[in-house]
Parts: sequence; structure tokens; C-alpha cells
Amino acid sequence: MAHLSWKTVGFLVVFVSFIWACSTSKDTPDPGPDPNPAKPEGTDRKAMLTHLADNIILPSYANFKGKLDAMMTKSEAFAAKPDKTTLTDFRQAWVDAYTEWQKVELFDVGPAEAQTLRYFFNIYPANATGIEENIVSGTAQLDVPASYPKQGFPALDYLINGLGESDEAILVRYTTAADAAKRIAYLKRVTTQMKTVFTAVQTEWTTTYRDKFVNATGIDVNSSTSKLVNGYVLHYERYIRSGKFGIPSGAMANGTPAADKVEAFYKKDLSLTLAKTAHQAAIDFFNGKDVKTGQEGPGFKSYLNALGAKDSQSGKSLVDVINAQFEASKAKLNTLKPSLYDEVKTNNAAMVAVYTEMQKAVRMLKVDMTSAMSITITYADNDGD
Amino acid sequence: MGRYLRTYTSAAPLSVFRIAFGLMIFGSVVRFWSKGWIDDFYIKPSFFFPYYGFEFIKPLGEYTYLLFVACGLSALLVAVGWFYRTASVLLFLSFTYIELMDKSTYLNHYYFVSLVAFLLLFLPANVYFSVDAHQNRTDSYDQIPRWTIDSLRLLMGIVYVYAGLAKLNSDWLLEALPLRIWLPGRNDLPIIGFLFNYRETAFTFSWLGALYDLSIPFFLLNRFTRPFAYVAVVVFHVLTVILFPIGMFPYIMIVAALIFFSAGFHQRIIAVLSRLLRLPAALVGSGKKKVYSGRQARLLLSGLAVFFVVQLLFPFRYALYPNELFWSEEGYRFSWRVMLMEKMGHVQFKVVDEKGQQIMVNNEDHLTRLQEKMMATQPDMLVQFAHYLRDYYARQGFQKPEVYVDTYVSLNGRLGKPYIDPTVNLAQETDSFTPKKWILPFGDEIKGL
Repeated sequence: MAHLSWKTVGFLVVFVSFIWACSTSKDTPDPGPDPNPAKPEGTDRKAMLTHLADNIILPSYANFKGKLDAMMTKSEAFAAKPDKTTLTDFRQAWVDAYTEWQKVELFDVGPAEAQTLRYFFNIYPANATGIEENIVSGTAQLDVPASYPKQGFPALDYLINGLGESDEAILVRYTTAADAAKRIAYLKRVTTQMKTVFTAVQTEWTTTYRDKFVNATGIDVNSSTSKLVNGYVLHYERYIRSGKFGIPSGAMANGTPAADKVEAFYKKDLSLTLAKTAHQAAIDFFNGKDVKTGQEGPGFKSYLNALGAKDSQSGKSLVDVINAQFEASKAKLNTLKPSLYDEVKTNNAAMVAVYTEMQKAVRMLKVDMTSAMSITITYADNDGD
Repeated sequence: MGRYLRTYTSAAPLSVFRIAFGLMIFGSVVRFWSKGWIDDFYIKPSFFFPYYGFEFIKPLGEYTYLLFVACGLSALLVAVGWFYRTASVLLFLSFTYIELMDKSTYLNHYYFVSLVAFLLLFLPANVYFSVDAHQNRTDSYDQIPRWTIDSLRLLMGIVYVYAGLAKLNSDWLLEALPLRIWLPGRNDLPIIGFLFNYRETAFTFSWLGALYDLSIPFFLLNRFTRPFAYVAVVVFHVLTVILFPIGMFPYIMIVAALIFFSAGFHQRIIAVLSRLLRLPAALVGSGKKKVYSGRQARLLLSGLAVFFVVQLLFPFRYALYPNELFWSEEGYRFSWRVMLMEKMGHVQFKVVDEKGQQIMVNNEDHLTRLQEKMMATQPDMLVQFAHYLRDYYARQGFQKPEVYVDTYVSLNGRLGKPYIDPTVNLAQETDSFTPKKWILPFGDEIKGL
């Protein structure tokens, strides 16, 4: 036995030190000369989720509800008495609500994801032929995928901006035209649908989902952080980069520009505002900016900083790298004129440049940020990538 | 050596191993099925990533379920030792077939299971405490050659030591990567969660993990350290269950490590099992010794020798490639490299043809999330998918489609960078064991084995 005892001793030393190490490492928080030391208190995901829910998502929903309700009122006034004044009011309310929408579309998590909120609000280009068919039928299904481009803000854009060259021509369609009553009925259906779907989402958030959200603190595929990050990245990639720039500019397919695929196609001069609003909302969300106070709180930025996420080769913090890329995209956005339709027609290289710049941000969000947070994107077993 | 080969020992450890292994595989199949993964991974996808040389192995549509039935049933038959020879062949073939259907589900422990199932084809695991022995389908023996049990111990030892050797690299030891990235994700665990906010924890786990892997087989071999070592096995693997979505691997290793225990220990297990299940005493205790004929023994032993030489050498094949192993993954699989990388990628394929047609591919139209994730960081899968796209778009009317890919890959916290040469037409490149010249340089170095 004597000749084996060193193994016994060796093993016991390892085993005991294992237990000891596990139980004592809390006493020694990061004494290293790390220029970007991890700050453990910032890695509290519950605090992050609470801030994001209470100070960003819910107030944004409340703000949007205000604009949506105002639009409902104006649309009812217009439906009751279509004239130049009510049309102008309705249009302004539509612009306000559409712009506010850009600040909530990115929360693709929980009830919004379950109800596919976005599909009922902002699938463009609007299907004008389909809308006209729906007006004729009067009873068309609005809850099926084929109906998505026939409702929401893009459909309203067509209905209040796209029916004629002049306001008079548009008003005729709601007053003296043979199908005027049916058109008004469809307008009401579209706005009612928006109100119904959004109310369902907001109600679930304020009643049951908020607590569920802040308490799902893991990073597995069903956790709030994972869903939020994945939804956020998807939104930036597919609905800001591709939808607003990649597709209309033709950067995505064949290089053939498709100016008619811009957002707010009939209003035209609103498209850049919408894109800028959506982009700024994505930046603010990344930085955890409180919607009410404008102050930054716990969010992706503080979480990444607390994790000590940085490029191990250059030593630069990942947050700075990403924010610099956001700024680069913004700079390209600022060179554009208000109508992205006109930009595609006359200045498409600038559109493609925005897409290219945003693509760089997409990669950082999708790969560097997600990896640094070790967010799970599948539920399959994994023994290390 | 000759004396060692003529040493005989109780057949109990091998029989207990057979039972435990069969039941674990059966459990794995039930778990896989109940999670809906057969459908998600092997039926729904429109494309699968075959292994080099095994391109003919594909899922069987709805019949894939039958494959899992065959695997589960044969695992049960192996466990009870009923028609063992047939069942073990069926188990090895069905399990291995399943694993070869799609690379994106590759896990080291599936490979381990296949190797064990392969060894069990040749080992006398059914001569004792089995239905076959009881029903005289096979002769019953109490004693078997010691090397039959030791071969399983050796395989386990290789798994652990090689997993430990793989951890001897600068990322793991000096940076505590990837544990430093992964552990904070578990900081919401009760009681121990807060520990994972500290880098010291990641370093402690990294070093102890490497030490554990390198040393545990030796401590398990020694009868004085064995009980402590086994406690360490349980603690280590249970920790990995708590911390990582690693599947059945920890449980399989915890159970498989019992093979290191003595004959007496396993005889007690069998005695308890017999009592609990009210089995006839005749199942054990024929008092006979399983002696292989000279020719049988030579054949078996030389086969085993070849098997183990391959096992020892194969994981080092990466040294034949010029690229950084973790970056290019040339020679990465089948080498017990477990939990070594946090690697993530984003890939955008572009298909163009002579007439100037061009399309940006949405990967999700063709791949599952798991497949896309796995492909994004593994060059052999990228080229396989490129070939699929080439053929797909040729059918869509593209003339001689060319496939290019824009890639961005991050490895262990390094900022992402382009992975594949975007100017190379992957439609024309082939996957092979030769170095892939179109993998862009890593631009960093991970020192170590």
C-alpha cells in the first residue's frame, strides 16, 4: 500500500482544493491588472430585464397606444365625414403613429412574438390589388398570412395617400364613388384590426407577461434574454437593414433596384424618417436608454461591459466597437434625402452604402454580441461548438 | 504480456456494464424521441450534411422512426442479454447509422457510444447474468479473460486523457476560455450562481477540469483512490449537467466509469439485482472459464490492437494540417475535444450564373437553426451546402451556378473576422482530407496541443 499512497495523497489534494476553490473564490473579486475589469453586479440579468421591461418596453407600448388611439379617433372622424380637414388630420395622426411604431417593432418577444404583431402592422409593400379585392368582398379574412400586406400602416398609406393624384381625387373615392361605403368600411376594419391585435399584446404584457419576462433569467433558448437578443438582432437584420434598404436598393437580390418596395411608398417623403427612427430606437435599446428619462440603465451595453466583452486582440470593448458601427451607419443615413423612393431612383449607391454599413453592425450583433453573451439559439444538445 | 493475456477475472463487471450501457442507450433514444428531435433533425430538414465517405447514409423519411425503434429495442435486448449477438450488431449499426445521417448533430459522446457498441460486438458480455446464458443460447461462464474488461477501461481512459490533452492550450489554461464566457450565463442558479460572475471561478474550473480529465482514469484504476475518484466523477459530471446543455454525456460517463470497480463490487450489484427482480440463482455461478482458442484469441487481440492504435493516433491527425485547429476544424471531430470553443458565425451565400442572375440565399429556407449554426463555423459543411445550393439553383434555371460566401466567425471572444475567401467559387471546390486553401488565416495563435 505504501508505494501507492502518493496517489491517494495527490488525489485528495486535488479533490480538497477543488472544493476549497469553489467555495472561496467569492472572496477574491478580480484583482488583476485588466484594463476593462468585469463588473459582476452588472451581470444581473433580472435587473436588466426589469429595466428593459419597465423603463423601455412598457412605456414605449404606452406611447404607441397614445398615438394609435389618436389615429383611431382621426380615422373615425374621417370615416364619419370625409373631407379635406379630416383627411389632413387623419394623415398627420397616421404619420405620428407610424413613426412611433418604429420604436416598438423591435420588441419581438413574448406576446408580440406569439401574436406576430409585426405582420399585422408593417408588412410592405402594400398589396393594392388585394386591398381593392378585400374592399369589394367586404368580409375577407384578415388573420391569414396572405392578408398581411393588405392591412396595417402600409394599407392605410395606400388608402389615404395612394388613391389619387390630388386630395380631391382621393376624397372622391370616399364620398361619391360607387364603392365609397365599402371603402370606408374596409378602412374601419383595418384600423380596428390594428387596435385589437395591439391591445391583446399590450394587455398580456401588463397583466401576466411582465413578471414572466423578468423572471425567465436564464440564457437558454426559452429565456427572456435569449428571445430578446434573437428578436432584436433579427429585427435589425431583416426589418431595418433588409426591409428598409437592402430590398429596395436591390443590394439583396440581383442588384436590381425596386423603388416601389420602400416603406411608406405612397407618402414617399416619410420613409427616411421612419428608417432613422427605427435605427435610433435600436441604438437606444442596445444602450438601455430609459424612454422616460433618457438616462442609460441596465441593458445590452451594461451587460456586455459587465461581462468584460472585448476584442481580445485589440483590447477594445465590444460595446465601443458596436456603437462606433452604429454611428457609421447613422452617418450614411444622414446623407440621404427624405424620400427613399427618390434615392433609389436617383442616388441608389447611397442606399447600398447604408445597407453595407448596417451589414457590418448585423455581424457584430449576431456573432460578437450573441457569442459574448453565450446566448443559445437552438435547444439541441451541444458539447462545445 | 503472455501471462496478462491468460489472466482471468469475474465476468460480472462486463455484464453490469452491458446492462447499464443498454439501458442508457434505450433512455437516450426515448429522450430523443420524446423531445420531437427525430422529426426536427432528421425528417423536417430538406438537406442533411453527410460525413465524408458516408454520403449514402441519409435519413429514411418517416421510416427514420423505425431506425430509432430498432436502436432502442436492440439496446434493451443488449441490456438483458437476449439474442445478444444479433442485438449488438443491430445496436451498433442502427446507432452509428443515426449518427452518420447529419453532421450537425455530432457529439463526442455519440461517437463514444458507437465505439463502445463496436467493442461489445466482440466482447463476451453475454456469457454471464444474461437471458442467452440462462436459456443456453450461449454457453454460460463465470470467468472471462481480463483483457476483455480492460479494453473498455482503456477506451474510457483514452476518452478522458485525450479530452484533458485537448485542454492543454493557451485559451483554456491562460484565458479560461470559453468557460469565462459561458459561466456568467449561469449566474442565476440558486446558491452557487454568484460564483460564476468571477473570473477566478472560470480559471479554477478550467484548471481542475484539465487535471481531472488527465488524471481520473489513473485514480479510478487504483483501488485505494477509486472511491474518491468516483465521487469526483459524479461531482464533475453533475456539475456539467447543471451548467451546460450537454445531453446524456455526463450520465453515460458516470455509469460507464463503474467498469473500473472490482469484481466483488459488480457481483454485489448483480446479487442485489437478482434479489430485487427475483431472478433464479442459476443465472450466475456456472463456475466455468471462458477460454478462447488460440486462433480466436489471436484474431480478437490483433483486432483490438489495431482498434486502439487507430484510437490513439487518429486524434492527432490535426497536426498534419497547417491551419489553426480551432479555426479551420480540420481534424477536429472524433478526437474528444469537448467544450473547448465558443464559436459563432454568420454566413451569407450568394449564387450567380453566367447570365448575370444573382441571388442572396436565405439559409433558413434550406436549413434548420441547428444546421445553420453548425455550418457557419465548419468549412466542410460550408462547402457541402454550397454544392447543395449549386444543384438547387441549377434546377431553378441558373446556368452553371457559382456559389460565393460572405462569412464572419468569432472564436473564443475574439472579434469576428472573415472565415472563407469570398472570391472562391465553392461550387467548384471539393471537400476532402487535404488542407482547405480557401479558409482565411486565423491571424492569432492558440498555443498548445
